[in-house]
Amino acid sequence: MSGRLTITFEDRTIGAFPGQSLGAALAASGELALRHTAGGDCRGMFCGMGVCQDCLVTVDGAPNQRACMVKVADGMVVRRQAAPGETPPARVGAAPILFENLQTVTADVLVIGGGAGGLSAALAARSCGLDVLLLDERQTAGGQYYKQPSAALKAEPLDRQQRDGAALRQRCEGAGVRIIDGAETFAALDAGSVMATHAGRTAVYRARAMVIATGAYERAVPIPGWTLPGVMTTGALQTLWRSHRALPGRRILIAGNGPLNLQVACEVMAAGADVVAVAEAAALFAPARAGAALRMVLHDPALTATGLALMARARLGGATLHFGAVARGISAVEGGLEVELGSATGGHGERFVVDAVALGYGFQPSNELLRALGARHDYDPGIRALRTVRTRECETTVPNLFAVGDACGLGGAPAALAEGEIAGLAIAERLGARSPAGVSADAAHRRLEGHRRFQAALWRLYDAPSPRLSLADDATLICRCEEVSKAALLAAMADGEPSIGAVKRRTRAGMGRCQGRYCGPLIAAHLAEETGRPLDERALFAPRAPVKPVTISDLVGGSAP
Amino acid sequence: MSGFDVLVAGGGIVGMTAALDLAREGRSVIIVDEGRHSGTTANAGSLHIQMQSRFIRMYPEQVADLERSLPLYPAGAARWRELEAELGADLEIKSSGGLMVADDAGQFAFLADKCARERRLGLDVHMLERAELARIAPYLGEAVHGAELCVEEGKLNPLKANEAIRTTLQALGVQRLDETVITALSPAGHGIEARLSHRGGQRSLSAGQVILAAGSGTGQLAAMLGVTIPTVAEPLHVNVTEATAPLIGHLVQHAERMITMKQLGAGQVVIGGGWPARFTGPEEFPTVDPASMIGNLSLAQHIVPRLGSLRVIRTWAGVNTTTDGQCVLGKLPGHDNVFSAVPGDAGYTLGPLVGRMAAALAMGRDPGHDIARFTPARFG
Ligand SMILES: Cc1cc2nc3c(=O)[nH]c(=O)nc-3n(C[C@H](O)[C@H](O)[C@H](O)COP(=O)(O)OP(=O)(O)OC[C@H]3O[C@@H](n4cnc5c(N)ncnc54)[C@H](O)[C@@H]3O)c2cc1C
Ligand SMILES: Cc1cc2nc3c(=O)[nH]c(=O)nc-3n(C[C@H](O)[C@H](O)[C@H](O)COP(=O)(O)OP(=O)(O)OC[C@H]3O[C@@H](n4cnc5c(N)ncnc54)[C@H](O)[C@@H]3O)c2cc1C
Ligand code: FES
Repeated sequence: MSGRLTITFEDRTIGAFPGQSLGAALAASGELALRHTAGGDCRGMFCGMGVCQDCLVTVDGAPNQRACMVKVADGMVVRRQAAPGETPPARVGAAPILFENLQTVTADVLVIGGGAGGLSAALAARSCGLDVLLLDERQTAGGQYYKQPSAALKAEPLDRQQRDGAALRQRCEGAGVRIIDGAETFAALDAGSVMATHAGRTAVYRARAMVIATGAYERAVPIPGWTLPGVMTTGALQTLWRSHRALPGRRILIAGNGPLNLQVACEVMAAGADVVAVAEAAALFAPARAGAALRMVLHDPALTATGLALMARARLGGATLHFGAVARGISAVEGGLEVELGSATGGHGERFVVDAVALGYGFQPSNELLRALGARHDYDPGIRALRTVRTRECETTVPNLFAVGDACGLGGAPAALAEGEIAGLAIAERLGARSPAGVSADAAHRRLEGHRRFQAALWRLYDAPSPRLSLADDATLICRCEEVSKAALLAAMADGEPSIGAVKRRTRAGMGRCQGRYCGPLIAAHLAEETGRPLDERALFAPRAPVKPVTISDLVGGSAP
Repeated sequence: MSGFDVLVAGGGIVGMTAALDLAREGRSVIIVDEGRHSGTTANAGSLHIQMQSRFIRMYPEQVADLERSLPLYPAGAARWRELEAELGADLEIKSSGGLMVADDAGQFAFLADKCARERRLGLDVHMLERAELARIAPYLGEAVHGAELCVEEGKLNPLKANEAIRTTLQALGVQRLDETVITALSPAGHGIEARLSHRGGQRSLSAGQVILAAGSGTGQLAAMLGVTIPTVAEPLHVNVTEATAPLIGHLVQHAERMITMKQLGAGQVVIGGGWPARFTGPEEFPTVDPASMIGNLSLAQHIVPRLGSLRVIRTWAGVNTTTDGQCVLGKLPGHDNVFSAVPGDAGYTLGPLVGRMAAALAMGRDPGHDIARFTPARFG
């Protein structure tokens, strides 16, 4: 990694590496408490991926900057975000504009999201000669699987996963895909156009067909103490290390459900962390799961072997592995965070004092743009989320709007790659472009089927009932942003048979900066169970622009001169 | 389920406040509300008093009627303050004044003329030149040339207000059927029979009297009884910023362009003012039009440049009701036991007053204002 630069946080001088996120630099220096809440608490990075909005800081006077998304720069002056904060003085605003005054950028194909799915769709469409534009909100596209470090960090790839990501991106660029990093798509206009902000300006991006490949974010399972600084998602911990080469402390505990937890445990151990325990809600070695395990071996022996090797490595590294166990609560104590493990149904277990806790309970598709455009979604109990209704070619119910990867159903990275290729080729055919000789989607379809079978077996192996609200106590916040407690929410939900919109208006749950991404699915599931409401698109908060908060001056900053 | 004294069709602000007065007088009341096209759950919480320039610009032919309705607005705001005290809840009502800003001398002259007419009609309004304006509203940007100040204007928090009224009605024993559509109304004996549909199931109920407080759905219900009320559903867009320290003290509007802006108690700035939303799907659910974000927010930043550093975190779409700008309030022609209660423009401001007048009509009492002009019979 390259030379250090320095920033100040409150009154402290802190060293950082160029290319790191501000949040990573602060975490590596032990600064985990980043913002004050209106209720008087402190929060830190939770999702590590720009979704939760809990990592807000003031940077050089500009309020409400996401520490996990902002790159460090030498001499930055950073302060904890107050609640509510001040707005910097300004006397002159830009002249008012209309939508029609925005710059328009056109292409044949627009791809939103540059993870495995988006990059692969872009490459396939480009290989047929189409002009492809790909927008990704991160400073460096690559998505959650490839987690590409910023070039400025000059970090060697950690493993094959990162090397593959770098190679895929290079192939896209080499082929002439126009990749715009740091472009946040905040509104979808129709099947072929979106609005996005990039470098402080807004433009309309238009194409003849569009692929949505916005991936997933992590599901919330509220437990007492889950809003404390130092408690984050497993993916956030993974991002700190893989993309920024930073760790939030030495002693770490990881708990939740699903294969990512063990993998990340091994990754951060290799980075020098002391992972004291990993708790997995599923009783993995219960005899009832043998069938699922066997099916996994059949569908992908290599991946299964990797999984077993991970367990062995974690044990060797000194972590205690707890199967059928969950983190029941976290409290701030002298010298760190105390985590109590136990079974999901009750009973107190072992306690550990650590610097940071990672909670990973699987994923939730980022399907807001698709839903805002009216693409149909059906609830899939298998993934406990809405699944985008698509043709075999990955076209949604809205003509010329395609969707691939985790955004439409949590299939994992290999499936996202295959779907991207299928969608890219289908679009080429739709737009009358010629695919290179010998290229067809058949092989991708075959790979996709295999991955889907493997994924299904993996889900069965890790199947555990979602604790949803059951681990939270009355005072535990369910809506992190508006600080709505479980007791307040339950009272509002028990009064009549309210719709999710009515619950929102009664409690303010879902009205905050994360736009209900964490509390929404929990409220919807609870209402469905209590009132028999169908868990369909209406059961969730209405998806509306902006799908991510957007700075007002950026909206105006795009007018054509 | 049958035999109510009064069926209130529509559970918005008008229907709820009408039910409140009726229940307090011992009437058995049931509210039926579809909840699909509502202004009450979606409005921006401005207490409007001065004439909104948007109406003067869009419907110049309605100005004379608007001016005649003007005295109703201070009375509407006063009714809100009374209601807050009666409910014993904090509705965050603030009468901190409303500013309608002008960008140049031409707009300033337009406002000065409007101001003079409004003064003659009894409103407490003044013109403020740039220097004086900068003193009371330092948050305004340099582009603002001057403004008209309406002292009694202000804001409230509709979420709190709606919730306080809902729970008070519950405590009074008023029944409420949500997500329920009235699909037919017909005279039956001395009363009215209503057919209801709720998540696919059908049923009916009867009531001695009916108050049609169904906002944009009122026209359809009146048509079931052979009466024309030309209510139009107008989908509108609202933007909300993240919270910030106290910045904007007034309700802010513009002399020529569509905008209303105010800051909530918790610090968020709510920015609306009539930018269009749109309907989607066969059920015509209102949804936002992203283009409205650009026009509305860029104008907001032009007027209050400091807003530029804030993020817009949420938008929503709601359905406003328009007719001819005036209330539609009175007995339905040909039906002694059915009353229409649709507020005029800025219907949330007028809501509790209109609800109170509708309840008075149903109980055969004096509504306290001259409402002859508002009769539904005017649409012929
Ligand atoms: C935090 C996290 C960690 C994960 N780690 C692993 C792992 O280690 N191993 C594994 O097998 N699977 C992992 N997964 C699962 C992973 O999502 C999939 O395996 C794979 O990345 C799916 O690829 P994708 O292209 O569908 O989505 P992603 O790889 O998630 O890519 C989506 C891309 O879209 C961009 N994007 C999203 N919204 C917008 C917007 N509005 N505007 C512009 N760009 C946008 C994002 O920046 C991102 O780059 C992880 C998931 C998450 C959420
Ligand atoms: C975005 C927006 C912002 C606004 N901002 C302001 C503001 O700042 N200040 C202000 O004063 N005004 C504002 N308004 C206007 C104000 O909200 C409305 O005028 C007011 O709420 C109307 O109240 P209401 O009770 O007459 O009708 P509504 O609130 O519209 O209620 C009517 C109810 O009747 C129901 N209904 C309709 N048909 C049927 C049927 N057949 N069966 C059963 N139920 C039915 C509807 O579903 C609805 O719930 C705004 C409006 C919108 C849309
Ligand atoms: S940690 Fe930065 S947005 Fe979630």
